[in-house]
Amino acid sequence: MNLRRPRWIWLALALGGVAAVGLAQAAWDDYLLSIVNFVGIYAILAVSLNLTNGFAGLFSLGHPGFMAIGGYVTAILTLPASRKAMFLALPGWLAGIELPFLPALLAGGAAATLTAFLLGLSVLRLSGHYLAVATMGFLIIVQVLIENWESVTRGPLGLNGLAALTDLWWVYGGLLAAVYVSWKVKFSSFGRSMLAMREDSLAAQCLGVNLFRTRVAALAIGAFFAGVAGGLWAHLVTAITPGTFSLIMAFNIVVMVVVGGTGSITGAVVAAVVFSAATEIFRPLEESFEAYGIAEILMALVLLVILIYRPSGLFGSREPAFLTAGPTHEPGNHPATAKGGQR
Amino acid sequence: MKRTLLGVLALAVFFLGTGTPWAADATIKLGALYNLTGGMSSIDAPALNGAKLQAKLINEKGGVLGKKLEVIGIDTKTDQKAAATGAQKALSEGVIAGLGYGDTTYVMAAAPLFQKKGLPFVTSGATHPELPKWVGDYMFMVPFGDDDQSFAIADFTVKKLNARNVAVWTDNSMDFTKALSKFYMARIKELGGTVVLEDFFKMGDKDFSAQIARLKAASPKADAVFVSAIPNEAGLSVKQIREAGLTLPIVSGDGFDTELVTTVPGPKLANAVYFSTHTYREDNRPEVVAFVKAYEKEYKKPPENAFAALGFDAVGLIADGLKRAGKVDGKALRDALAATKGYKAVTGEITYSRPSMVPAKGVSIISVMNGKYKVEEVWMPKP
Repeated sequence: MNLRRPRWIWLALALGGVAAVGLAQAAWDDYLLSIVNFVGIYAILAVSLNLTNGFAGLFSLGHPGFMAIGGYVTAILTLPASRKAMFLALPGWLAGIELPFLPALLAGGAAATLTAFLLGLSVLRLSGHYLAVATMGFLIIVQVLIENWESVTRGPLGLNGLAALTDLWWVYGGLLAAVYVSWKVKFSSFGRSMLAMREDSLAAQCLGVNLFRTRVAALAIGAFFAGVAGGLWAHLVTAITPGTFSLIMAFNIVVMVVVGGTGSITGAVVAAVVFSAATEIFRPLEESFEAYGIAEILMALVLLVILIYRPSGLFGSREPAFLTAGPTHEPGNHPATAKGGQR
Repeated sequence: MKRTLLGVLALAVFFLGTGTPWAADATIKLGALYNLTGGMSSIDAPALNGAKLQAKLINEKGGVLGKKLEVIGIDTKTDQKAAATGAQKALSEGVIAGLGYGDTTYVMAAAPLFQKKGLPFVTSGATHPELPKWVGDYMFMVPFGDDDQSFAIADFTVKKLNARNVAVWTDNSMDFTKALSKFYMARIKELGGTVVLEDFFKMGDKDFSAQIARLKAASPKADAVFVSAIPNEAGLSVKQIREAGLTLPIVSGDGFDTELVTTVPGPKLANAVYFSTHTYREDNRPEVVAFVKAYEKEYKKPPENAFAALGFDAVGLIADGLKRAGKVDGKALRDALAATKGYKAVTGEITYSRPSMVPAKGVSIISVMNGKYKVEEVWMPKP
């Protein structure tokens, strides 16, 4: 495989991104920045769910659950000790901890990964619809737990007055890491075994793929970035409540993965950008005609049209050719695997 | 691929285009953040109607400081993310103050951004008594706090209904209902009463038979039941308690301030229900009468609930503050708002005399007998 070309493009893209972030931070007002930040967080979520749902074919609706865990862990760790004492009744060792943003984010991601690992041990024997229902159950358990564990989470009211630590640099860094890891996984033997497992688990097993380990890994890696995204989210909104991490959010992220093309990293990013920016684009329309809610209706129409005319999503399982070494090295281009995107 | 690139480019151009704020200072802009779609819309949509009506009436009389008021309605979709970006949008359009929301969750996503910019945020309907403490000195509340409404109905339960043993039902999925029960039980105990039973349900529950069975079996017998619920469960719980043959008084807070309390059980069963709420329903002060008349004229329907009146008051309060400030400036407006004294709002007089900055407003106790609402008394908090 000729790796030279993509490396150049990657470097150029990453540097271009850094320049764009710097420019945006300097020139744009807070409204635009907040939109771009949310778009970036949704892109992290879509890319990480794409790893679980897209590569490994594990239809998970539990993504917001991991996000909530990461978000709460990050928020509690960064909260100043004085505020902790005011709001919460934490155990002694936790009440005194006050971490900077980066370790707190990583701890949030780690907590989500650990949860995913434990969840995976029990539910990853299931597949298809059964797995979807089981992960949905997980999401509901997380929500109910947060609503009722008042000494740590402050119940339905959630935590507020968090420091506004998230800016475009953090979001961009998170997205870059998520895309990088996804890319490395997709174009490695490990990623190939995930894709093989998605297409035909029996055949993959015959070829020596350890199904269970691969599945747990796919869920756990996806959960890590969901946890980080949750931490970024909490410190962008400066408040975190259990109601945010709902089934509706789970569906929104799944829609992004499906529209982008199940298994396509580029597709996940593009769909996340389109879908999370769309409501803001239609806002002037809503406000001048007082037709509130029209954005949702139009986006639903767009979704239907895409699913009718591009049933395998915008990109299928592929990445655009200019990012990859050559078309033949694309797992998704092979006729036998191309149908994968149509699920 | 080319098309996608073009699309992305078009998006970028669009963003740049919206980035330039149009600097027209002909009007005084207020950012009204409300959840006009989604679960909160039945509470927030009437509030925005009220707010726009107030602005229109003020503008018909010549506006404020020689300028017209412009209420920019922003839909935040019952979503905290949309609340945060909505607030940023309002700020980028050069508003002088923000207003909005009937629930604390969304205020906490939006108001801190106004605080940071040094512009006041006035909530029309969020009732958590610690809101101003959490957000800061640019946060103002139009309604009373949850503690006041709970204390009012607790006093009424013990002193007027002579109920000493009470049962408490709480919707444990919402912060508002949990807080209400907490303050109610504390006051009941303070007044020498006993909570004989604590029971729970969840928003969306349709069947209360288990709670009713436990209520019947409570020992000592409950003299009254406090149902901490929002409108949907309010109507259903009254209906099912009465259908089970229980005649004890049902008491609650402003979550019961809805037609559903009489329409769901029907006039025969809607009996001996008492709730504390904003002084507005069945009230005949001139402000209230004028508001209802104007609202009916503008929207061809009576005000849906007290939140319409609260939205109306939020704009009125800001306009009053602007007049006293004498200039369009965030700091001056904040100082003027903080000094508000005896502003005659539709939902009662507003004065910020307490250190908590929660207005010491009157709380109406309303009774429902045979499907008819009647104001029993107006409870006044300690100033």
